[in-house]
Amino acid sequence: MNFLKKLVPQVATEVQQLSRSGFHTSSVCCRVQSGRYRITTKRNRPLTYEMANPPHFIGHRKSWNSWNTSTMKDALRPSQTAIEDVFIRKFVTGTWHALVCSEIIIKRQHNTIRIAALIRQAITPRKMYFLIGYTEELLSYWMQCPVTLELQTVGDKKDVVFKYI
Amino acid sequence: MSSALTRLWERLPLKKQTAQSGIRVFSNQEPQQNQEVEDDEEFRVLSLRTVKQQFQRRQQVRRDPITPPRTNRMAVDQDWTAVWPGPRSFHPASVPLPLRQGFTERGAAAPSKFANAELMKIPNFLHLTPPAIRQQCEAIKKFCTPWPKGLETEAKWQRHFPLEVITTDYCQSLPTIRNPEARRVTISLKLSDLKFDAHARDKFLRLVGDRYDKDTDIVTFVTDRCPQKKQNYDYALYLLTVCYHESFVTEPWEATKSEADMEVYLFERNQSKLSAERILNWNAKEGAPKVAPSKSFAVCVEQLINEGENEYNLGKYKEEVKKMLSIA
Repeated sequence: MNFLKKLVPQVATEVQQLSRSGFHTSSVCCRVQSGRYRITTKRNRPLTYEMANPPHFIGHRKSWNSWNTSTMKDALRPSQTAIEDVFIRKFVTGTWHALVCSEIIIKRQHNTIRIAALIRQAITPRKMYFLIGYTEELLSYWMQCPVTLELQTVGDKKDVVFKYI
Repeated sequence: MSSALTRLWERLPLKKQTAQSGIRVFSNQEPQQNQEVEDDEEFRVLSLRTVKQQFQRRQQVRRDPITPPRTNRMAVDQDWTAVWPGPRSFHPASVPLPLRQGFTERGAAAPSKFANAELMKIPNFLHLTPPAIRQQCEAIKKFCTPWPKGLETEAKWQRHFPLEVITTDYCQSLPTIRNPEARRVTISLKLSDLKFDAHARDKFLRLVGDRYDKDTDIVTFVTDRCPQKKQNYDYALYLLTVCYHESFVTEPWEATKSEADMEVYLFERNQSKLSAERILNWNAKEGAPKVAPSKSFAVCVEQLINEGENEYNLGKYKEEVKKMLSIA
C-alpha cells in the first residue's frame, strides 16, 4: 500500500488507520458438506437410498447405522463402542472387498453384535460362506463377544441404486 | 527306443499296419500315442506379431442361477416360529409380506423390500408374534410356582411384608453385564409398622433425619456406598436395625434436656399445667386429693401452642377454659 502514500497525504493516513484496525475477511467456513453429494452435469452419479438422504434426515427418512445403548444418557463405554464400530466397518469392507453395496449396519444386543449388510453376488456361495465364517470368527475374537453376520445378497450393483444425480 | 522305432515305421505307410501289430506285443499304450503325435504335427504358422484372432476368448464366469426367494415356496399354514425363531435382521426372502419402506417423491412407490437397507436397520419383532410368545410361555410354565395362599390382596401382603426393597437391573448392549448404577438399594417402610414408645420414636426420627417423610409416614434408606448390590442391601438393613435399637437407649445426658431444647410444647412439663392446678385447687383443704386439669384441656393447650393460633384452636380453647372453670 506504499503507492497510496505518494498520492495524497490524507489517503495515506486513512490507509494507516485501516491497517491498524486489523480488518480481516475470509471465505465462509461454516458450510455443511458431509454426507451430501453434488449433482453431476450428466446426471449419472448413482446414489443409494442412504446416500440420497443427507444426515439431517436421520431419524426421519432414514435410520441409524449403529444401534446400541452407549449413546444414551449416562451410558457406559460410548467412545469404545464408537471406535469398535469404525473398526468393524473397516474390517468388513476390506474383507468383503468390492462386494459391500450398502452401509454396514451394526446392531448390539446385550453382548452380541449383529452386522447386517448388502453383498453383491460376485463370488461363489462357497467363498461367501468361508468369508462369513472368517469374519465372524476373527471379529468375535477381537471383540470378545459373539458376532453374527446377517447378510442379504443382491444380484447386481444397480439393484441398490435409488436415483441418479 | 520303441517310440523312435514306431516313428520310423510311420513314415512308411505301407508297412504301418504290420509294424503296429508287431509293436503291440511290447506295449498297449503305443497306438494312442501315435495318434496324438499325428494330431500335433499340423502345419504351424510362424507368427511374429500377435494377431487378433489368436486371442483366446475370455472364459465366461459361470454363475449359479439365482434362486427365487424362499417365500414363493412357503406354505400358507407353515409354522412361522420355526422360520423366524430368534431376533434377526430383516431378510426379504424369508418374510412373505409385501413390505415397503422409504421416502420417495410424491406419487412414486416406496422402495420394495428387496435390497432395502432401511428394513434391515430397524429392529423387528417377527420373532415375537403372539403364537411364539404363547409357545414360550407354555415352555416355561413348568418352572412357575403357584401364588402363595394368604397373600391375595395388597393389604395382606403389606401386613406380612412391610419392608419394600427397590433395586435396578440394567440391560445394555455391551460386552459387560456390570453397571455401577445397579448397586443402589432403596428400602422403605411405614413408621407405624415399628413399635415405639414416645422417647424412642422421637429419638428415631432425630436419627433418621430427612429420611422420614412426614406426609406419607414412610422412612426410606438409600445406600450406594458399597460396590455390590448385596452389600448395599445388607448395609441398609443394618442401618435400619441399628437406628431402631439405638432409639431405645437412653443416654445419661438426655436427662439434662431443658425446656429450650424441646421441639414441641408438652403440657405436662410446662407452666400452664401448674397454673391450671393452682386455679383448680384454690382454697382446697390440706390433705385433700389434688384436682388435675382434664385431658381434653391439656390436648387443647398443646394444639393451640404447637399448631399456632387460629379461629378453631382459639374457639376450642375458650370452650375448654369455660368447661374447666364451670362458667358455661
